[in-house]
Amino acid sequence: MATNQQNHLLAFFTAMDNQGGIIVRDAPKLDLDLYISNYKGRTRFERLLVIGQCSVTLCLDALKAAIVEAKKGKDVQRYRDAWECIRTAAPAEPEAIWDDAWVNATERANKLETQRLEAELKGYKNNLVKESIRIGHRDLGEHLESIGDLNGAADAYLKMRPDASTQSHILDVGKHIISTMLQKRDWPGALANINKVLVANMSPEEQNAEQPYQKMVSGLAYLGTEKYHEAARSFLEVGDPIVCQRYNDVVSSNDIATYGGLLALASMDRLELQIRVLDNSAFRNYLELEPHIRKAVSMFVNGRYSACLAILESYRADYLLDIYLQKHVASLFSLIRSKCIVQYFLPFSCVTLDSMNTAFAKPGESLEDELISMIKSGVLKARINTIDKLLVAVSNNARVAMQTQGIEAARNYEREALERIRRMSLAAADLEVRGQSRKIGSTGGNLAGVGDIWSDDSNRRLYNPGETASS
Amino acid sequence: MDQLAPVLLAFPPENPTDDNDTYDKAVKAHLNRLTKLLKDNNADLILHGPQLLELLSPAVNSLSYLAVLHTLVIPSLATSMARDLLLEKLAIFLVSFDGRQCRYAGTHLHDLLSTVGSGQYLPPSVAVDVLATAILKLDPTGRMLTSTHIILARLAYNTDNIEPALKVIDKIIVFYPNMINYKEPQYLCDLDLFPPAYITRENGLTAVVKAAAVMEYDLLCGMMYCARREWAKAHAAFERVVTFPTREGGTSKIMAEAYKKWVLVSLLLNGKHTDPPSYTGAAANKLYGTLGKSYVSVATSFVTENAEGLKAEVEKNAEIWQEDGNTGLIQEVLAAYQKWRVLNLQDIYTKISISEIREQTLSAETGEKLGKDEDVEALVQNMIIGGMLKGVIEKNDDGTVFLTFLSSTTELSELEFADELLRMASRLKELQPIFRATSERLGTSKDYVKHIMKESKRNEKSDAPDPTLGFDAQVDDEDLMGGVIQTG
Repeated sequence: MATNQQNHLLAFFTAMDNQGGIIVRDAPKLDLDLYISNYKGRTRFERLLVIGQCSVTLCLDALKAAIVEAKKGKDVQRYRDAWECIRTAAPAEPEAIWDDAWVNATERANKLETQRLEAELKGYKNNLVKESIRIGHRDLGEHLESIGDLNGAADAYLKMRPDASTQSHILDVGKHIISTMLQKRDWPGALANINKVLVANMSPEEQNAEQPYQKMVSGLAYLGTEKYHEAARSFLEVGDPIVCQRYNDVVSSNDIATYGGLLALASMDRLELQIRVLDNSAFRNYLELEPHIRKAVSMFVNGRYSACLAILESYRADYLLDIYLQKHVASLFSLIRSKCIVQYFLPFSCVTLDSMNTAFAKPGESLEDELISMIKSGVLKARINTIDKLLVAVSNNARVAMQTQGIEAARNYEREALERIRRMSLAAADLEVRGQSRKIGSTGGNLAGVGDIWSDDSNRRLYNPGETASS
Repeated sequence: MDQLAPVLLAFPPENPTDDNDTYDKAVKAHLNRLTKLLKDNNADLILHGPQLLELLSPAVNSLSYLAVLHTLVIPSLATSMARDLLLEKLAIFLVSFDGRQCRYAGTHLHDLLSTVGSGQYLPPSVAVDVLATAILKLDPTGRMLTSTHIILARLAYNTDNIEPALKVIDKIIVFYPNMINYKEPQYLCDLDLFPPAYITRENGLTAVVKAAAVMEYDLLCGMMYCARREWAKAHAAFERVVTFPTREGGTSKIMAEAYKKWVLVSLLLNGKHTDPPSYTGAAANKLYGTLGKSYVSVATSFVTENAEGLKAEVEKNAEIWQEDGNTGLIQEVLAAYQKWRVLNLQDIYTKISISEIREQTLSAETGEKLGKDEDVEALVQNMIIGGMLKGVIEKNDDGTVFLTFLSSTTELSELEFADELLRMASRLKELQPIFRATSERLGTSKDYVKHIMKESKRNEKSDAPDPTLGFDAQVDDEDLMGGVIQTG
């Protein structure tokens, strides 16, 4: 029985791998129940499904939880997705049996509800009460979102805008639209909306209350578009954790800490890390939630790069199971790693490869290939000495550079001057290569005075020497 | 014979003068006498030719010598004299004549040069040397192209006698025959004259030179440098053809041929291919894009690590290389591939063992690694000897042979640097006469003066801005000479 189960899991993950999905074999440090209780709303299902599809150890638990989560809602497609997964992964489980009754009942109810809301909205429109129309659109949008029709929901939310009369209404519209965009992973759209909606003039209190949401969404959008430095800045400026907690249908405070710390490590230098991360009193609250991030950052700032990398490496599985971070883990880790190597090497003119290996390489492996690719891409300004096993810094001799540049300039001047005169002479001797159409007209090419280089050929023919003499 | 000799020996006078006016008159008088002589006593000249040539000195009595020689050689070799002796005299004359005198007998001299250039009489190696020397006798600066240059280049390239031609083809050409605005010089014998002033079609020192011939000359030069593996000079020569001035969308097949070779030579010289300079004609550029496609794709794979890809690319188009006559260059490119890969290693390593080089670089000739470390060592050694690579091959105590890359630029001492700058400055000063000649030419040009007048008129009018005038100004700014005038 157990081996049978194993085989099904294997088949499931092979299929996932073939689809280009990420497979996490190591057990993450997170506790599934605790983790998911941090969130509310539609993101819970998304996260459970991702974990179910990616983590070998948590697969079954997560998928079962996802089924339960899906059945709590009204989105039939989500149930179908989760069921497809569990059907291949564990056909023996009771959750793997298709619940036709629930599906039919939900679909029918959804249809009725949609019709009801549409009819209601029509009624509001006939009555021409702005507020009611707005509410009608919102209700319809929320319903459509909950049954998984994101495009329909976005349309409905957009129609709220003409009827939004107060600042809070506009905010409301914006948040609803952004919510659908985040689910559709439309990062540029989310970014445009967050700036459009929330930048309007607000009182300081409002500003305080809205900043966490604004920063967290723009951070996610920047992360999604791989602008890591901007993303890090956004996450570090999120602000009040209590307000942030309110938006746990998007991300949790723990996530803010992880994203902010990790992105900062990948995109900032040591000084900036110290100022913006460690000395940042607002962000400290978040760091307390994820002490390992705090530790990694301070290790990096203190120059203990291998320890920093070791910490991050031990949490790699957790990062890989995060829906937003997942895709960027590999590039973020390699960014941090090459930064560590560059920083490690910075104070030296020469380092033995062995000490680099002990600091950065996995046991038994050599760092050389990585160093080569870093040198090639210009990240690391150094050269390798494979005979004495050294990494040597490139010395920039400004004098030599100046001298070569000076001589080069003189040489170029000479060459260019001669080339220009040569071309002028060619023009003066009427030796240019002409287009076919002009061939007939230029038979007198070598007669002095005919090769008029100042005016166009056609002008010359119209031009009468006698006339200029008089004019 | 007795009446011929005194006339022929009459010039130059015993105590020659440097005064242009006197010299000019004397030469002209002598020319008149010679002309008469040639007309009336042609048969005598042919008969007594050998003795007369013995009597005259080719370097001193150049004009008379030329006259006699011309009668003997043109239209066909005279029978009154042993063929070998006559040809020897011809060769001696052409390498020793007085350039100042012969300016007055351009047509005759040109006839002799063309005869030599035909390659029928003198052995090619001698002919090339004679032509090259004669060209420099006439124009010591070597800055001006004549029809003889083209004859020389053809002969040298076709008979593979490049060495003796180098002294001419190494010179950078800046003047061409029959440029406009050169008025007839007052004294043809004036030694301060610039070559374009006295080497003209009218006085016979050069024949008509067409654009195609100019390009052919540069193309031949490039090919000669290729034969000598002087890639930098070859590159410059081909580039002159590739960027040849065009107007009205003109292009030429020679330009396309040059472009193909230029691409390959860039690979050999710089290890990579770049787009033609910005001043290349637009239509020509388009032509290069279509005709040179397979060459550019070779260049693209040349810079990658994919040796097999390069090899495949080359083999796929073997017919094209054959047709274009570039098989040799392509072979060079294949051979150079690994060298450039080794050279690129210096961006990564300071020291690297020979066996590691073998592991990391592929030969494009086979698409595989070299078989033995010794082969790699030989390759690297050749690169060092050839000056392509700065480095040394050393051996460790444990027997590992390795290559140490040295810095490609060495720091000069303050003194050395000053010397170098001084040398540069004097080279730039040497350009002064060329600048002067060019600005003089422009200064006397009717069109240029017209242009200046138009410019100043427009400046006066500028208080009443007119959009059409503004547009005019833009057109004028495109003038080739606009930027250079101030430097002269």
